[in-house]
Amino acid sequence: MTLHDLLLSPFAYAFMRRALLSAALLGVSGGLIGCVLVLRRLALMGDALSHSLLPGVAAAWYFFGTSTTALFFGGLAAGLLTALGSALLSRLTRVKEDAAFGSLFIVFFAAGIALVSKLPSRVNLTDFLFGNVLGVNPGEIGLAAAVCALTVLVFAVFYRSVLLETFDPVFHRASGGRGGLVHMGFLTLTVLNLVAAMQTMGIVLALGLFLLPAVSAYLWCDRFRSMLLVSVAIAVLSSAVGILVSFHAGLASGASIVLCLGVVFILSALFSPRHGALGALRFGRGRAPSQ
Amino acid sequence: MTDLVDSFLAALPDDPNIISFDSVTVRYGRVTALEGVSLEIPCGSSTAILGANGAGKSTLLRSVMGWQHLSAGEIRIGDAHPHHARPRLAYVPQRHSVDWDFPITVRGVVEQGRYPSLGIFRRLSANDRGLVDAALDELGIADLAGRQIRMLSGGQQQRVFLARAVAQGGDIFLLDEPFTGLDLFGSEELTHILRGWVAQGRTVLAAVHDLGVARSCFARGILLKTRLVASGPIGDVLSPANIDTAYRGGQHCVHDGHAHGEAAP
Repeated sequence: MTLHDLLLSPFAYAFMRRALLSAALLGVSGGLIGCVLVLRRLALMGDALSHSLLPGVAAAWYFFGTSTTALFFGGLAAGLLTALGSALLSRLTRVKEDAAFGSLFIVFFAAGIALVSKLPSRVNLTDFLFGNVLGVNPGEIGLAAAVCALTVLVFAVFYRSVLLETFDPVFHRASGGRGGLVHMGFLTLTVLNLVAAMQTMGIVLALGLFLLPAVSAYLWCDRFRSMLLVSVAIAVLSSAVGILVSFHAGLASGASIVLCLGVVFILSALFSPRHGALGALRFGRGRAPSQ
Repeated sequence: MTDLVDSFLAALPDDPNIISFDSVTVRYGRVTALEGVSLEIPCGSSTAILGANGAGKSTLLRSVMGWQHLSAGEIRIGDAHPHHARPRLAYVPQRHSVDWDFPITVRGVVEQGRYPSLGIFRRLSANDRGLVDAALDELGIADLAGRQIRMLSGGQQQRVFLARAVAQGGDIFLLDEPFTGLDLFGSEELTHILRGWVAQGRTVLAAVHDLGVARSCFARGILLKTRLVASGPIGDVLSPANIDTAYRGGQHCVHDGHAHGEAAP
C-alpha cells in the first residue's frame, strides 16, 4: 500500500471529505472549549452535560424527524435545562452543584433512552450515542462551521475576559468584568459545541474531542495562548488520523478519533519533560495532590 | 472671578478620609453580615480589618469593592460611589484561591492589572507595557517574569499578585488575608512592602486574622462583630475589653444568630 493509498485516496469519496471537514471544524472549537473546561475543573460537568442532550434530541426526532435544525434546538434546550436546573437546585436546596448535576443528567439520560426506545425502529440508538461521522450531511457541516466560527470569534474577541474568568474570577469581577455573563455564555457555547458534535462523535464520545486535546496541551504548555493553539492542533490532527484509521480498519469513527486522542494524551502524560510522570519519577519529585 | 475661585476651592476635597461608611447594613437572606457600621478610613493609612470568622471581614472588603448590595446605608470612596471609584481600587485575592498550575507566567499575571483599562478591543500599548515593567521592578520580580507561577517561592507568589495590583494604577489597595500561609520571612517581607506603599501615600486595607501581625504591621484597625466593635489607632482598637467583646462574646449574647452566620459567597 503506497502513502497515497493510505492518506489521500480515501478522500476521493465525498462522504470521507465531509467527515474530515466536520471533524476538523469541531476539533478547532472543541480544542478551545476543552482548555477552559480543563482549567476550570469542569471536565466531569461537561460529561454530564453531553449525556443530558439525549432526551432533547430524541424528542426533536420524534416530532420533527431528521431535520438538523430541530435536533439542534432539541439538544440545546435539554442541555440548557440541565445547566440551569442544577444551578437553581444548588442555590435553593441543600444539594451541592456537582450532586445536582450528577442527579439531573442521569434522569435526563434515562428519559432520553426511554424516548429512543419508543421511536420507530429505523432509528439506531448507537448513532445517537456514538455518532457516525461517515454519515454527516451538508446541513450538519453547515452547523459545525457556524458553531466553530462563533467559538473562534468569541475566543478571539473576548480573549482577555475568557482568560481572567478562567484564571481568577474574583479579580475579573473586582475589575468590573461581567463574570456571570461570561460563565453563562461559556456554558451556552459548550452546549452548542456538544450539539454540533453529536452527529460526528455521538453524545457519549463528543466530550473526548474537547477534553483530551486540552489535557494533553495542559501537560506541555506554560502559557494560556500556547495551550489553546496546541490543543487545537492536537484535536485537528488526531481527528484526521482517526478518520483515516476508521476507514482503513473499519472501526467506528467516533471511537477511532477518541482512541487517537487517547494515544496522544497517554504519551503526553508519560513523556512531557516538566509535567509528565516519567520526569516526576526520574527526579523523585512526586507532586502533592492539589488541594 | 473670586466667586469662581471660591466655588473651586469649596469643591476641592478637604476631607482627609478616603473611605467612609455611613450606617452600612448587609444581609444575605436571613443572615445579617454587617449591621449599622459607620466608620472613616483616612487617606494614606494602613488599616487592618479584624474579627472572628463570620464577623463580616470579607463582606466589608466586598462592600468597598462595590459588589455587595447594601441593605441600608452608604459607602463613599473619595466623593464617589464605589462603582465610580473602580479605577482607584486594586484587589489582591487570597493565596489559596489561586490555581498555581495555571499555564501562565509571572508577566502574564501582572499584565492582567492593565486589562480593566483596556476594555475589549484595545491591545496592550507601550505605556501599558511600561507600567507592567515598573510594577515588576517595584516588587523585585523582574528577573522572574518568564517563569510559570508554580515555580516560585511563597513570598514571590505573593509579590506577583501585589505587582498586578500596582500595575492597575490604583491608590487604594484591598487585600484579603494576605498574611495567611506566609512563613516568618514572607510576612516580614510583606510588612516591608505595605509600609513602603503607605509611605508613598497609598491607602492599604487588609483583612487580617492574626492580632500580632495586625499590631506590628498596621497603624489602624477596624474590629468587627457584625456590628462595629471599634475603629481607630490599632493600639486603642485592640484593647483587652474590645478583644473580649469581639472574640469571646463579651456583652453580646453568644447565641445572637447574626454574628455566627458565616458570610455567604
